[in-house]
Amino acid sequence: MPALIPSWRFFDSIAPSPRVEYLLFDPQNENLGSWAEYRPRPERLPVWSMLKRMLYNPIRNETLFIASCAERLIKNEQEYGAHSIAEIFARIEHDIAHGLLKQEGQYLQFRLAFISRQKHGLEKHILFVSEIKKLEPKDASTL
Amino acid sequence: MTIDLAIRLTELMQGLAFIQQSIEHLHRPRDEKILFACRIVLSAILMSGLLTTWALVGLVGVSLFILKRFNGPYNGGSDRMGLLILVCLTLAHIAPNAFWQNIAFGYLAVQLILSYFISGWVKIVNVEWRSGRALQDVFAYTTYPVSEHLRVFADKPKLLLIMSWCVIGFELIFPLALLHIHALYIALIIAATFHLANAFLFGLNRFFWIWLCAYPSILWFQGQFI
Repeated sequence: MPALIPSWRFFDSIAPSPRVEYLLFDPQNENLGSWAEYRPRPERLPVWSMLKRMLYNPIRNETLFIASCAERLIKNEQEYGAHSIAEIFARIEHDIAHGLLKQEGQYLQFRLAFISRQKHGLEKHILFVSEIKKLEPKDASTL
Repeated sequence: MTIDLAIRLTELMQGLAFIQQSIEHLHRPRDEKILFACRIVLSAILMSGLLTTWALVGLVGVSLFILKRFNGPYNGGSDRMGLLILVCLTLAHIAPNAFWQNIAFGYLAVQLILSYFISGWVKIVNVEWRSGRALQDVFAYTTYPVSEHLRVFADKPKLLLIMSWCVIGFELIFPLALLHIHALYIALIIAATFHLANAFLFGLNRFFWIWLCAYPSILWFQGQFI
């Protein structure tokens, strides 16, 4: 039915906005590293890149999907939790396997930060912290 | 525009839009790759004009598997519009007579009108949109701006207030464009420009292509009544 009667309530309200942050570490290492934003947007994007993205925009669309996963997870962890957690872990692992993220440890954890406007300006709240996952050496093509 | 021409144009545009979307998934894991490779093949069959009904039924099936794979839409509204077009095209092809074919394809045109009007309505009833604050927030902290540099727009409240009212006003008066074919052409050009701006500023390229796919339906629809 949602296919026949879609909701067209685009941007009816501006909800708190998710950021996925990840941590790569080794427990035996004293320096545990720090949380880093997963796929932060570039400082600037040339018009030529914007034009190219009209035809081929996989990373951006995937990043929007990850944001949807984060929102679904917070909205209904029971229904969407397992799927969203698996999707987010899979994408971070994929980026590590393909050298897009530097593997600074064998253990991976992510958290979901939500930014919203409050009385005194923008505030960031951590609403979810994943379990720690040990990274297995994998063939990059399978991720 | 005749209904046959409008349907054929929609099939060709939908096929291209689906191929464009699907190519973006070919670097992903095997299960995802297989699903989207199937969609590319079926889209090519749809565009060829051979076995059209079977291609459409196959595409509906693949779309349901894609929904299951991602536990919902992969790209929100653009997936919803893609599926709606697909279902309307399928129903138009399997319709027992011209009357039901008109109903199925006309329904797509009605939903296109609603996609603009409802978007405008939910904004005008929200004080945050009326004050321009909502658009400021979109630029200030949401995940949508494609670069950090674009966040400077959040500090231009007067510009965003004007832009907010332009968007709200256009979306609400869009149905009136049906009164004259020239007005409809102008409205569709403005709407496409709006989607193009969203694609450039927020990276929503899929919305641009998929909404364009529904335009032949409204061009045919307008000719039926006015």
